[in-house]
Amino acid sequence: MSLRDRLGRLTGEPAIPNQADSPQKTIGELRRKIDEIMSRRERIARPRFAEAWQKAIPLEHVVAGEEIRTQHGNLFVSRNSLKGNDSHGHVHISDFACLNMEATSFLSYPPMTIDLALEDGLFLDTETTGLAGGTGTFPFLIGLGWFDAGSFITCQLFARDFSEEKAMLRYLSDIASDKQFLVTFNGRAYDLNLLATRFILNRFQDTLTAKPHIDLLHPSRRVFAHRLENVRLSTIETNILGVWRNGDVPGFEIPQRYFDWLRVRDGKLLEDVFTHNRMDIISMASLLKHLADLTETCQETGQGQHIDFLKMATLLYERGNPEKAQKMLESLLGSNRLDVAIGARRSLSLMYKKARRWKDAIALWQEIVAINPHDVFAVEELAKFYEHHTRNFGKALEMVRKLLDEARNLSNTERESLEHRLHRLHRYK
Amino acid sequence: MPHISLTEWLTRAEKDRRFRENATAIRHIPALQGSYAPYPHWVNPLLQKILTGQGIGKLYSHQAQAIELVHQGRDVVLVTPTASGKTLCYNIPVLQKILEEPETRAIYLFPTKALANDQMTEIHGLIRELKANIKTFTYDGDTPDDARQAIRKQGNVVVTNPDMLHAGILPHHTKWQKLFSNLKYVVVDELHIYRGVFGSHVTNVFRRLKRICRFYGQDPVFICCSATVANPREHAEDLLEKEVVLIDQSGAPRSAKTFILYNPPIVNRELGIRQSALTPARTIASNLIDNRIQTIAFTTSRLNVEVLTKYLKDTFKSKIPKDDHYVTGYRGGYLPNLRRQIEKGLRERSIMGVVSTNALELGIDIGDLEACIMVGYPGTIASAWQQAGRAGRRTGSSLAILIAKSNPMDQFIVENPDYFFSRSPEHCRVNPDNLLILLHHIKSAAFELPFEEGEKFGKEDLVELLTYLEEKGVIHRVDQRWHWSAESYPADEVSLRTVNPENIVVIDTTDTGNHKVIAEVDWDSAFTAVHDSAIYMVESQQYHVDKLDLERKKAYVKKVDVDYYTDAMTYTGVRVMDDFDTKMKGRLIVQHGEVQVTRKVVGYKKIKFYTSENVGYGDVDLPEREMHTTSYWFTIPWDLLYSLQLSRLDILDGLAGLTYCLHHIAAMLVMSDIRDVDWCIGDKSGEWYVRRGDNRRMITTSPSKPVNVMENAYDPTVFIFDAYPGGIGFSENLFERHNELVRAVRSVITSCPCEHGCPMCVGPLMEVGPSAKSAALKILDLMDTP
Repeated sequence: MSLRDRLGRLTGEPAIPNQADSPQKTIGELRRKIDEIMSRRERIARPRFAEAWQKAIPLEHVVAGEEIRTQHGNLFVSRNSLKGNDSHGHVHISDFACLNMEATSFLSYPPMTIDLALEDGLFLDTETTGLAGGTGTFPFLIGLGWFDAGSFITCQLFARDFSEEKAMLRYLSDIASDKQFLVTFNGRAYDLNLLATRFILNRFQDTLTAKPHIDLLHPSRRVFAHRLENVRLSTIETNILGVWRNGDVPGFEIPQRYFDWLRVRDGKLLEDVFTHNRMDIISMASLLKHLADLTETCQETGQGQHIDFLKMATLLYERGNPEKAQKMLESLLGSNRLDVAIGARRSLSLMYKKARRWKDAIALWQEIVAINPHDVFAVEELAKFYEHHTRNFGKALEMVRKLLDEARNLSNTERESLEHRLHRLHRYK
Repeated sequence: MPHISLTEWLTRAEKDRRFRENATAIRHIPALQGSYAPYPHWVNPLLQKILTGQGIGKLYSHQAQAIELVHQGRDVVLVTPTASGKTLCYNIPVLQKILEEPETRAIYLFPTKALANDQMTEIHGLIRELKANIKTFTYDGDTPDDARQAIRKQGNVVVTNPDMLHAGILPHHTKWQKLFSNLKYVVVDELHIYRGVFGSHVTNVFRRLKRICRFYGQDPVFICCSATVANPREHAEDLLEKEVVLIDQSGAPRSAKTFILYNPPIVNRELGIRQSALTPARTIASNLIDNRIQTIAFTTSRLNVEVLTKYLKDTFKSKIPKDDHYVTGYRGGYLPNLRRQIEKGLRERSIMGVVSTNALELGIDIGDLEACIMVGYPGTIASAWQQAGRAGRRTGSSLAILIAKSNPMDQFIVENPDYFFSRSPEHCRVNPDNLLILLHHIKSAAFELPFEEGEKFGKEDLVELLTYLEEKGVIHRVDQRWHWSAESYPADEVSLRTVNPENIVVIDTTDTGNHKVIAEVDWDSAFTAVHDSAIYMVESQQYHVDKLDLERKKAYVKKVDVDYYTDAMTYTGVRVMDDFDTKMKGRLIVQHGEVQVTRKVVGYKKIKFYTSENVGYGDVDLPEREMHTTSYWFTIPWDLLYSLQLSRLDILDGLAGLTYCLHHIAAMLVMSDIRDVDWCIGDKSGEWYVRRGDNRRMITTSPSKPVNVMENAYDPTVFIFDAYPGGIGFSENLFERHNELVRAVRSVITSCPCEHGCPMCVGPLMEVGPSAKSAALKILDLMDTP
């Protein structure tokens, strides 16, 4: 029996196409079951795009771009540019001229130490054949962006088939060789790992993934997670950057678009994917500006809220820029938002405490208690101070006892901690 | 009462008349002297000094031979008993190479974590004494994420298992660039485990591994260790698809062993019932343990582990009331912590008796046991010797006693001791080109590296298979290369070991605020072990299963204290999908081919402890499980059967008796484990099956509905099928040897001394009916007519 027949037998497909009887029914069932076994983890129903009943449209007709020839083969490249007056959400391209590069360097972790210009940065975002990771995932579209003489250039490298990967990677390396740092969204965990893998598989030297790198996901999470449902780029776009997309292709559909393209070569399949990718890149630039701006003024604007500044200040402090953090916090003390007023005082008081500026620290704790007498943090810090520095046990004891008696909403840990302190203080009597 | 030594115990036993009556063989296997060789000249002097300091001044002959061959770049397979120092056979060459070239990498593969932990202590000790910067790491499912990166870059020796290699390492090989670019050695321990379905998968994993090594420019040497099987070199060469040198002459000394074959006495001659093997097991084990002779008892089922453990614990409860762990059970389903505790207790001799499944057959160090009791033949000669090998690794004398159960295979073995003692162990077979298995690994391999024109993978036509996958939409071809073009991750789709990789977690809900996980059961076993209302035992604590939630993979149990245990009843049905070959034997139609097997657990029996009475039944409602495999079968036309002038029920009883014997003899003839083949009586279209009803046999229409159908509608067919999806190759063998098989069955039934039938020939009378034996013989006569 031929291999084909044996396979057909195992999977339940009839060797001869026309069989009308009941064995067919049970075979069909068996095939379904075998297929189930063989594709056990296919959670996502693949939406099959309109098949080749529609005439396939060449890619060049729907995406502005051209075929580039290289020594490693060919690829398709699409370029676009945004000029000074063009805007993306709340940001105009011309606004980037006043981007604070020093602040930007703190968005990376560890902070970038090189001397940077905006034009040295390469924005990068890939579209791939799946999230599985590993050697079988293919980045078919590598989207790049950079600033050049006041414009923002997007350059999308597209492998029209697997055989164009080498050309694509070489072209990418050439562009990257002129750049000093990378900017991605979740690139640390995903895009750069993937590209590193592709370089190894194609036996190319990887001069890209070791570059200094700002992964915008991390500072975004620190600053925005408390007030957004999630920190996906699309969510940040809508809520913070003011970007609206019409009819964007959902992310989970993208791999199948490429697989269908491989079979039918219809450019319509990819039009949305290119647009989606380009928008992602421009949004990353916009997000970079927004985050960098948060380190500057603490004026509450429509785009930034005081609480974002607070989070950013904490981030800066942790990343080794205490001076800036302190300045930001000090300017937030006057905020009319209660949580910001208290939060700023908390963070600032800890910085003062670390610098042994006790008077300043106490002042802040007392201010907090004045706003909210049941603030556990402030009370505990004051109690600690009275206990260890002024040896005023009575005062400490009184504060702690008062809090325990009056506060209604203490958590178990808070209560335990306070009781423990009470216990300690009692021993001094 | 003063303790007696094992030697004294043996002397007394051999003098005891009743014991001698039931012992069908008492063999004395003499001790073996050691055979030694010096260290080869190239061994690093510091390493040699350290080993000498550990008492290893010279090597065993087989160790010297092995390391010399490996040093020359040859692939080897070592077949030597436990405690023969096989770990040095790989640790020396690996450490040597790393000392010479510090970037050298090696992979050590063990089938289980416990084994891995055990074998790694030696190399850790050596590295410590060498004071060298050599790192070994374990990389498996439990390795925390932050450790993984370090291991990938720095580990000289990466210890892992085939499952992790398959799903975690190979598909991410670029992250392991350092490892693969410097990989010089692959150590594979317990090679004999890689047989059957598991072995077929692992062969393919090795194919992918070698393919990836080639990509990074490496061709590592494989060092394999195997237990005694009939065909170790052939098996290793099947797995590695390379030429392998066999080293099987052990230079290690061996202690003297007394090996006894024991048949429990007949307690009911007319019915042919023998005493249960658990009874003498219990007596002998208690006796030995009482004398502080450390004993291990192997049973053939997890259920029996619990039953025998309970019996023994009950015995010692009154004698050593404070120590509940004097005797323990042991099996794979126990949680790892508990298993480690038991292994330690055995090594430290705080546990004097352990009852185990074959989980303890493998090389886990449990120290110095003196006696081994096998409650029932473990199914293969190889297993029997391995279990026996658990007794007497280092001390002067040891005992192994095999107690027969009431089934044809066990009876045959104990009544024919020469057969047992002269028999070579089983063959290890793999079928890596089983289409379903091969296809799956081709997908994984394509995911790892695109296939190129001219490549080979397995013995089937690779291009045809890749084209098939292209049509399925998961592979895309361009420029003479085939690329993986799907979103999914093929390595996740199939587990190497079972059809369904998921385990059911057993949760004790006795304490309402405090639910605890007490064990894990694999998917297939769950249907018979933890169905609703089953009694599930762990360390002989009984639990009643309140609910089995298949969807969430959880079984909820509560502690109970009852006087019975449960045994599940499974109905099996087989339907022919395709026949590969046919031959006629008179009017008998003999065939082999592909079948679909359906299994359904329909109920359970409640069996009282100690008396083994059946004290009740219960129903179970669980879904059917289906499997696709290969089978051998023969069909007997009804009119031929009717010519026997027997009633329909008698005919069915006869068929059942015949098949019972056939199943056992088939397993023995093809030298497979009895669990590797299963049986069914039905018809080819899968419309009806022969099933035992409440009193007699009856025909039913489906695995669950006991309704009688028109008797002449179909001709009865007896199936003996491979118990694994996809088939492993036994059925073709059985098809070819059909005549031999029938003759052997006839000879066993004819020569059995019982009157009407018994478990040793056609099955227990209670299950097959009084006319089974005579009917079976008549049917066999029919089958033999030309």
